[in-house]
Amino acid sequence: MGERLTGKVAVVTGAGRGIGREIAMLLAEEGAAVVVNDAGVNVDGTGGESTPAQTVVEAIRARGGQAVANYDNVADFQAAEQIIETAVREFGRIDILVNNAGILRDRMVFNLSEDDWDAVIAVHLKGTFNCTRHAAVRMRQQKAGRIISMSSTSGLYGNTGQANYGAAKDAIAGLTRVVARELGKYGVTVNAIAPAAQTRMIATIPSKAREIRAQRGVALPGQRVTELPPLRAEPGDVAPFVVYLATDAAKNINGQIFLVRGGLVALLNDPAPVRTITKNGRWSAEEIAQVFPLTLGMDLVNPAPAQPPAEASQ
Amino acid sequence: MAKMLEGRVAVVTGAGRGIGRAVALGLAEAGARVVVNDYGVDVHGEAPSTGPAFEVVGEICAQGGEAVANTDSVATWDGAARIIQTAIDHFGRLDILVTCAGILRDRMIFNMTEAEFDAVVAVHLKGTFCCIRHAAPIFRSQRSGRIITFSSGAGLFGNPGQSNYGAAKSGIGGLTKVVARDLGKYGVTCNAIAPVAATRMTLTEEFLRAREIRRQQGIVREERALARLEELKPEDVAPMVVFLASDHAANVNGQFFLVAGSSISLLSQPRPVKTIFKADDRWTLDELDAIVPQTLAEGLVNPAPPREG
Repeated sequence: MGERLTGKVAVVTGAGRGIGREIAMLLAEEGAAVVVNDAGVNVDGTGGESTPAQTVVEAIRARGGQAVANYDNVADFQAAEQIIETAVREFGRIDILVNNAGILRDRMVFNLSEDDWDAVIAVHLKGTFNCTRHAAVRMRQQKAGRIISMSSTSGLYGNTGQANYGAAKDAIAGLTRVVARELGKYGVTVNAIAPAAQTRMIATIPSKAREIRAQRGVALPGQRVTELPPLRAEPGDVAPFVVYLATDAAKNINGQIFLVRGGLVALLNDPAPVRTITKNGRWSAEEIAQVFPLTLGMDLVNPAPAQPPAEASQ
Repeated sequence: MAKMLEGRVAVVTGAGRGIGRAVALGLAEAGARVVVNDYGVDVHGEAPSTGPAFEVVGEICAQGGEAVANTDSVATWDGAARIIQTAIDHFGRLDILVTCAGILRDRMIFNMTEAEFDAVVAVHLKGTFCCIRHAAPIFRSQRSGRIITFSSGAGLFGNPGQSNYGAAKSGIGGLTKVVARDLGKYGVTCNAIAPVAATRMTLTEEFLRAREIRRQQGIVREERALARLEELKPEDVAPMVVFLASDHAANVNGQFFLVAGSSISLLSQPRPVKTIFKADDRWTLDELDAIVPQTLAEGLVNPAPPREG
C-alpha cells in the first residue's frame, strides 16, 4: 500500500464496475477512504442494485482499506448531495471527487429519441455538475480539493451515433475548464480524463459501428484497421493517472484534459485559434468565400464526406 | 450575380434580437426565406412574448425579403418540431438551420442552483439538439442541408461564473462534431461558431464588473476581444454564417470558427500535444511521479493559481 493519500477522503461515482471500480481500488490502496458510489444500473441506465458498490467496498476492506458504499443516483441534485455528505458523515471530509458514472444509449441523430437524449445528459452532465456543485462548497471552505471528471473522445473528437453521449462528454470538458478557473484560487484543481478501456459500456457499441468508425479514421483511439495488435485498454490502466491527479504532486495541474488508454497518457491541447483572417470593416459572405479556401479552409478535411446514395444507405 | 442563398429556406432560432436577428437578416439578404424563431424571453429565459420575432419578420419583409415568425421554445421537443414544421408549411422545404437561441444565468459553481443549471442547459444544449433532431430526417432524405450551431469561448476557454453556460456551449461543440459525422455522408454539414459580440446577453453590468475583476486577476484568456467588446457588432457574425450555409462551404464540416468583429478564426480541435507511453503495461504512481513533471506537466500554467490566505 502506498501512502500518497493517507488521511484523504474520496468519492468515486459509478465505482461499482469498470474504470470507476479500478479508480476506487487504487485510491484506497494509496490510503484514501473511499465512498464507492454506484446505483448499480444497466449500461442504458435501467434497473438498479446494490451489489456492484457493495462488492467493491468489500474488496477494498479485504485489502485493509477504508470504504463505504452509496447507491444514490448522481443525476438527482438532492441525491448527489447525499453522496458527498456520505463522505463527510463517514470520514469527516471530502478531498477528492471522481465523476465517473455514466450510461450509453447510442443512436444516429436522426433516430435519437428525446428519452435517449435526456437519460444520457442527465447521468453524465447533470450528474457531474451535481456532484461537483456539492463538493465545491466544501472544497472551497477547506481551501483544498481535487475534482477529476470523465470526458470522452466521443465528444472531443466526435463519434458517429453518439450525439447524446458526445454532447454530454464535451459539456463535461467545458464544465471542467470553467470550474477549474472558479475553484483554482481556493487550492482546488479540476481536470478531465478521456479514457479508453474495454468495459461493458464499450461492449454495447455494435461492432459494425466500430468498423465504420475505424474506416473513417474516427475510431476510438488505437482501433484503426492495422496489422498491429490494438493498444491495450484495460479498465485498470486508467486509474494510476487519475490517482496521480489526486495527489499533492499534481497540485498545479488544473483545467486540463488528458487522454488515457493502456500505457498511453496524453495531454490534449486547449481550444485556440489556429488561423485568423482579418480586414478593415465587416466581411461580406462573398469575400469570405473567396479567401476561405486559401486561408482558414486550406487543409480542412471533411470527416464524413458526402457519399453517393447507394453507399450512404447501407 | 445570383444571390448566394437564392431559393433556400432557413430556420434561425433566437432570431428576435442580437446575433440571431443579424443572422436572420443576413440570410434573407442573401436570398433565403427565413423562419424567424424567438420565444421572446428576457436574458434569463423569463417572460415570453411574441414581439421580437414579428419585429424581425417585419424588418426582413420591409427589405423585400420573405420571412415568417415562430414563437415556440426550442427547449421542448414538440416546440422544436413546430419550428421546423413552420419552414415546411410556409416555404415547402428546409435547407439551413441556425441555432442561436440562448439564455444566461451566471453564478459561481458553489452558489449555482439546480434551476439555474437546468434552465441554461435546456435552452442551449437541449434546444440545439431538438432543432437538429427534427431537421435531420429532412436533411437526410433530401441529401443536403446546413446546420450552424452556436458554441462559445465561455466553454471552450472557460469563463468563471458560467459553469452552466460553458458546459452547455461545450456540449453543443460535442454535438456539432458528432452530427457532422452522423450526417456528413448525406451531404449535410454541421459547423459551430463561437461568436464574440456586444448584445444584451454579453454587454451587461455584471459582465462589465466581472471584466474589471478578471482584468485585475489576469485570469481571462480572450481578454483582447472582450476588452473591446463594445465595438464587436452582432452583424459582424452574419457573413460567416451565410458563407457556411452556402454551396461554397459544401465540404466544410465539423469545424469551429471564432468570430469577433472583422476577425474570423479557425479553432483547433482537441488533439494530443504531449504523450507518454509504455507499451506493455500501465504506469505506476512511482513512475508518474518521476516522469510527469518533465513531460506532460512541463510548462503547464494553472489558469487560477491558489491565493494566499
